[in-house]
Amino acid sequence: MSRPDEETESRENAEFRREVRAWITANKPAHPGFKLPQSFLEVESERQFEFLRAWQRKVYEAGYLGLDWPAEYGGKGDPHKRQRIVSQEIGRADAPFLVNVIGLQWAGPTILTYGSDEQKHRYLAPILSAEEIWCQGFSEPGAGSDLASAQTRAEPTDDGWLVTGHKVWTTLAHVAKWMILLARTEPYDPEGQAHGALRAHKYAGLSYFLFPMDAPGITVSPLVKMTGEGGFNQVIFERSPMPRSALLGKLGQGWQIAMTTLTFERGAAEGTGGGQATATAESIRAVASLARRARRDGHPAADDPVIRDRAAQLWIEEEALRLTGQRARVAGLNMEDRPLATRLLNKLVYSELAQRTTEFACEVLGPDATLWLGDPCAPDKAEWPRAFMNSFGVTIGGGTSEIQRNILGERVLGLPKTK
Amino acid sequence: MRIEVPTDFGFAEEHALLRQEARRFLGERWPIAALRRSADAGGRFDRGLWKEMAQLGWVGLVLPESWGGAGLGWLHLEILLEEMGRRLVPGPFLGSLLAGVALAQAASAAQRERWGPAVASGETVATLALTEPGGGFEADAIAATAAPSAGGFALRGQKTHVVGGADAGLVVAPFREPGGGIALFAVELPAAGVAIEDEVCIDPTRATARVTFDGVRVPREARLEGDGSAALGETLVRGFAALAAEQVGGAESVLLATRDYAVARKQFDRPIGFFQAVKHPIVDMMVQIELARSLAVGAAAALDHTPSSADALARMAKAYAGDAFAAATRKGVQLHGGYGFTWDCDVHFYFRRAIWDRSMLGDAIHHRRRLAGLLFGEA
Repeated sequence: MSRPDEETESRENAEFRREVRAWITANKPAHPGFKLPQSFLEVESERQFEFLRAWQRKVYEAGYLGLDWPAEYGGKGDPHKRQRIVSQEIGRADAPFLVNVIGLQWAGPTILTYGSDEQKHRYLAPILSAEEIWCQGFSEPGAGSDLASAQTRAEPTDDGWLVTGHKVWTTLAHVAKWMILLARTEPYDPEGQAHGALRAHKYAGLSYFLFPMDAPGITVSPLVKMTGEGGFNQVIFERSPMPRSALLGKLGQGWQIAMTTLTFERGAAEGTGGGQATATAESIRAVASLARRARRDGHPAADDPVIRDRAAQLWIEEEALRLTGQRARVAGLNMEDRPLATRLLNKLVYSELAQRTTEFACEVLGPDATLWLGDPCAPDKAEWPRAFMNSFGVTIGGGTSEIQRNILGERVLGLPKTK
Repeated sequence: MRIEVPTDFGFAEEHALLRQEARRFLGERWPIAALRRSADAGGRFDRGLWKEMAQLGWVGLVLPESWGGAGLGWLHLEILLEEMGRRLVPGPFLGSLLAGVALAQAASAAQRERWGPAVASGETVATLALTEPGGGFEADAIAATAAPSAGGFALRGQKTHVVGGADAGLVVAPFREPGGGIALFAVELPAAGVAIEDEVCIDPTRATARVTFDGVRVPREARLEGDGSAALGETLVRGFAALAAEQVGGAESVLLATRDYAVARKQFDRPIGFFQAVKHPIVDMMVQIELARSLAVGAAAALDHTPSSADALARMAKAYAGDAFAAATRKGVQLHGGYGFTWDCDVHFYFRRAIWDRSMLGDAIHHRRRLAGLLFGEA
């Protein structure tokens, strides 16, 4: 138990945090002068990508990525689990995000969990150095929230599989070397089978692959987001080959492995390679600063009692979420009958809070919230309306808020299953 | 400002043991049937329950060991109050706790000796009388006055919603002095010139009173020696944290009852919890409660270890837990359907408690106004 006179973090961790903070201050790249993406969801141009990739490489070479991963796979094998501290400091310093988000946070920890020794040796180190970028092939035009109804199929050949199908919302596919791919290895025909058999096939017929994006027969084409920006794509496979070594885990284990990936993606499990996918969690402070600059009805917005009340509410929720993440790691302060609640609620709460916070920033701005990218008078270069729109990428992607509520209701509270 | 608490909140095995003990004792001693009997009988003070809680060391849990208290931290109290909130434990606990805290903050050695041990042991039921008819309770809003008078003071003013006022043997209350400062006074009851009138309270588990000081003469020793304004501030922070914890516990009970009902109750051939119009609001209830719990635990940890974060966190916890408890009871009544609208359904007891807890010691609107000053860097 900590004593009142001790620091809130162990001395080693506090020292490490100071070291990381100093390193970031000294090494954070200057703004390149061109528009940077707000998150990994809208990396459009080559120069944006190369700028971000160089930053990640620099962080890795300084020894600040893969801290929690074993040394034999390019990590640091740090027993103190301090990757979290690096991610927090990168966020707080307003430094660029780490571009290989899908590799670091989703694919990497999944490979660490289910991969063969050979796969771990092959794939993990280039994730950390950003030498090999990863994308995710889960969703399809007909399989969104109902992910298990995916129809993209992998047909066995003598030395591997041929993939045919259509994946959507594939962020970073245009620069990726690898894709984590959920594909059907047993047919599933919702129209033609008896109900019991249908259900078994729906889940058991899926397998999980590490697909090479330089394979023939694939077409990557951009999708344009509601902001007008690109950065995510659709991928069409026409009998695209992949080798036997592409299979992760066992044939038919795809659903289970995909759920593990989603647990990492939603920030509900520890052990990622580092970085964070979205803007810093301290954004209400940025909105408070905006409210001091912005004027409403001829007065500083920060003087308006309604604005102040709503800002305070968002601040409370932000601190509550941060403390909930902290509490999730203290078993005795979690409810005995729902130990996972504090982890599983993370994705729902942070995505919706970010959405409400950015929407609130637009309201603070009043009429100037309508000034869009490129207008010389747009406050903060239109960062706020753009962030509000982009926030839907997080309340929808990775399992919508509605699906999150189903998961919490069914897995955590034991309410009857919807499906 | 940066808010920080120890990574582990200072949690240790002894906290888990206290939770087990409290859950077991209250489960046996204060089931909902006992609460109903008590409410039907007018919700008067259950002296037996009070004595048993005092024997368990709960009444003096955070009071100094030199008084015979347990001298434990606020995380202990947070855990105990969550359990008491779950069971809607009635009686003067909250008032006695805060009166003891105020004494610990401001009393001189002689004053501590005079009142401390009796309060910590539960032998004297004490209460802190704060809220005034205009709704003020923080130092800047106190209107009751203390004027020097022949070797002592004359106290004048009214305090309302005083927990356990009619059962108290000692009342601690803030008064404004002629110079404009605040002083805390401890007045032994009964006293000539102190009128105590029962309130008809929406919450049958809270026996509250209006306490009127009509120029009551008290000796010089009744004025607590320490800086009254600072002591009131420190006492209030602890009051916010305490009520936050109790609200989290109350909300948790409503969540579990509503979840169980949604699993058991069938309509359209299915448990109603199958329908997302029912399922999702229950999830939102849980999410709010978990966030509120993190703030309540955080406020307690700050009081124990990082006092510079305690005021902000305790206000956040009081505000957010108040709204979470109110929302849980509102939705709890609704999702119990027609049954939820009856006296037979237990949820209305929590609904009543939520109205009381939310409004006392500042509601969310009050605390957000103060927090905004911190957020915008003005305080």
